Amino acid sequence: MKDLMADYYKQGAEAKEKGIPVAWVTAVFPVEIIYAAGLFPFYPENFGAVASARKMADKLSSFAEAKGYAHDLCAYARCGLGDAHSKEHPVGEIVKPDLLLCCNTQCGSLSKWFEVAARFYEAPYFLLDAPQIGMEADDLCKKYYTAQLKELIAFLESFTGKKFDYDRLREVMAHANEACRLWNAILETAALKPAPFGFFDACFHMAPIVTWRGMPQAVNYYRTLQEELQNRIQNNVYAIKDERYKLYFDHIPLWPKLRWFSEICASHHALVAVSQYTHSWAYSFDLEHPLESLAENYTEEFVNRVFDYRIQRKMQLMERYNVDGFILFSNRSCKPNAFGLYDKKNIISSITGLPGVVFEADMSDLRFFSEAQVLARLESFFEQLESA
Amino acid sequence: MNNKEIIEIFKGAAARPDEQAEYWKKEQESKVIGFMLTDVPEELIHAAGFLPYAVNAEEGRLEFADAHLQTWACSFTRNCLASAVQGKLSFLDGIVIPQTCDTTRMLMGIWKHTNPLPFMENYRLPRQVDRPSAREYLRGELERLKKSLENFGGSEIKEAELAASISLYNSNRGLMRQLYAMHVENPQLLSGKELFLIIKAAMVMPREKVNSLLKQLLNHLKNKGVSHVKGNKIRLLISGTLLEPLELLDYIAEAGGVIVGDDFKNGSRYLECDVSEDKEPLEALVDRQVNRIPSALFDPKKGLRKTYLVDLARQKRANGVLFLHLKFCEPENYDYYDNMQAMEKYGIPAMRIETAYGGLPQGQLQTRIYAFMEMLGGGDAD
Repeated sequence: MKDLMADYYKQGAEAKEKGIPVAWVTAVFPVEIIYAAGLFPFYPENFGAVASARKMADKLSSFAEAKGYAHDLCAYARCGLGDAHSKEHPVGEIVKPDLLLCCNTQCGSLSKWFEVAARFYEAPYFLLDAPQIGMEADDLCKKYYTAQLKELIAFLESFTGKKFDYDRLREVMAHANEACRLWNAILETAALKPAPFGFFDACFHMAPIVTWRGMPQAVNYYRTLQEELQNRIQNNVYAIKDERYKLYFDHIPLWPKLRWFSEICASHHALVAVSQYTHSWAYSFDLEHPLESLAENYTEEFVNRVFDYRIQRKMQLMERYNVDGFILFSNRSCKPNAFGLYDKKNIISSITGLPGVVFEADMSDLRFFSEAQVLARLESFFEQLESA
Repeated sequence: MNNKEIIEIFKGAAARPDEQAEYWKKEQESKVIGFMLTDVPEELIHAAGFLPYAVNAEEGRLEFADAHLQTWACSFTRNCLASAVQGKLSFLDGIVIPQTCDTTRMLMGIWKHTNPLPFMENYRLPRQVDRPSAREYLRGELERLKKSLENFGGSEIKEAELAASISLYNSNRGLMRQLYAMHVENPQLLSGKELFLIIKAAMVMPREKVNSLLKQLLNHLKNKGVSHVKGNKIRLLISGTLLEPLELLDYIAEAGGVIVGDDFKNGSRYLECDVSEDKEPLEALVDRQVNRIPSALFDPKKGLRKTYLVDLARQKRANGVLFLHLKFCEPENYDYYDNMQAMEKYGIPAMRIETAYGGLPQGQLQTRIYAFMEMLGGGDAD
């Protein structure tokens, strides 16, 4: 895994040297198009996550804050903007963009960050705009998104000076289909009791599905991982010792405290088995209708859905993984996922009867983390879980 | 009525917006549809026969929202939700929430579960306006909203009705712009705070009545002519998402400032740009939305916001720019650095102050505004 990501960053540097344009992209962007167009996609969110896991988010953020960006903006954005305004680059310099491509299903913070970065790096910016979808999929949004994919392709053609190759797109999409299938089969092993794999493992192994979706490397990576999991199952190797409970978790992990958090759960024999977060990359493309299919897959996921749909999605996953309780993370850096969680917790508990808890922190920035407070909330949740 | 009396009517409506909306509702036997500020095509609501009513944050207790919404959501949204939770908005028959940021995008679900209203709709604005796809989508979204209003009202919105509402709103915007110009010319007659209170009141009152009051007010003010202006008037451009609390404008006036322009959603962004009366009405509404003055909501490639603000400051001969930023407003905060850089580049003095609805440490704000005004070369209060 480390090798793979080191390799990925190296490729970014090499792309620059070879003159292959580096396109900044967001995690839920149809990257298949970027690969098909022969560009190198770079994920600044990944840069933020890596900086956060290394506990460097607040340091990077301070460079952005010195320029007037508030500490309540998304921490990934502060990491990226902090790096832009820093001379020290404490986690290594971000790969600079030749163009920036953003899809705003995830949030509006990304689209503003990319807009700002486009001005900073003086590179062209394309926003793939996705209006929010209600309980039912909606033709208006699908048409709008499909029309924008065509505009995106025209934009890339004019940027690269090359005609877009739809056959290559189908090839890339076929790889993405296979990678998504494998990834989801891997995630499913967390439903076994006891399970060889859980959410924290998924966080560790998710980078290829985010960054390399559409490339054979991701397929190879997950084939190997799947074999390894089969071995673990055969040899009775499990994710945690004496698994008694399974939990659902929302959403992005607490990167700088990932181990701390996983150890608390493990000490209660609770496996965090599932999260909508790691299940985000579950695409299944129809190669006969590539653009329409990209539009459906990318806009109809929960990230682009309303409150009630998100509740339904969470409850589906809770049922499928047969969880005993749920932990919801009110993440200051992620308004779309955090806002509504208080009511969602009450609604889900009253429908399912499952114990649940909401805790407050930031996915990256430890200035917004109080260990004592989070621990107190979690401990009272585990008491509830264990007495149920 | 003299001008003072007319201004008092507006002030009263701004102070107790619900009272006059409820009065209208009884009198007209019709429905009141709320909207969050301010990218909503009110013309559609009006044409459906309803009273469009701006849900604005009132002086109230934010903590009522705390069980539903994190304290790091902006105070505007928390305040609106707190009003709903307390039942202060129960006279509304519905609400339209324009999705202009992550918070407004997630608000509907919470509101629906907390205090459901008979009619609840999102208005899903496109977040890009430069490409042809945006127009086509927006047209579809307006049609969807129109149909939804028709279903709720039980009758079709006819083209002529929509055209009439557009015309009414155009004259309203025109009259307000005249009033704005009057303030710039002669702040002694109409203060900045009075101007923005009138805008606030107009958003909740029947437009027919607003227009008739505005015409009378403008006549009075024109007859009074320009009075003697004491002291140096420092010409100030103010910029941000939502302008509140309006007391800020008093501090500016006390320090010798006059507001010559702004880009607030409850200011010039609301008043600028009319809807064409020569086009098919829905197309004309699309035009207005994509041509509105830049805000943090959009990323217009042609006419960047920072360029717009620099041009506006020059055109209005502003001595400085005061950014009044609602705390926790992400889009606004992302724009700030670039806006500030542009001001520096063109030698326009600028400063930022963070604002919030309700409980601001007023003394501190006053001091900062005075200091900025003094730096701009004024400071001698009238």
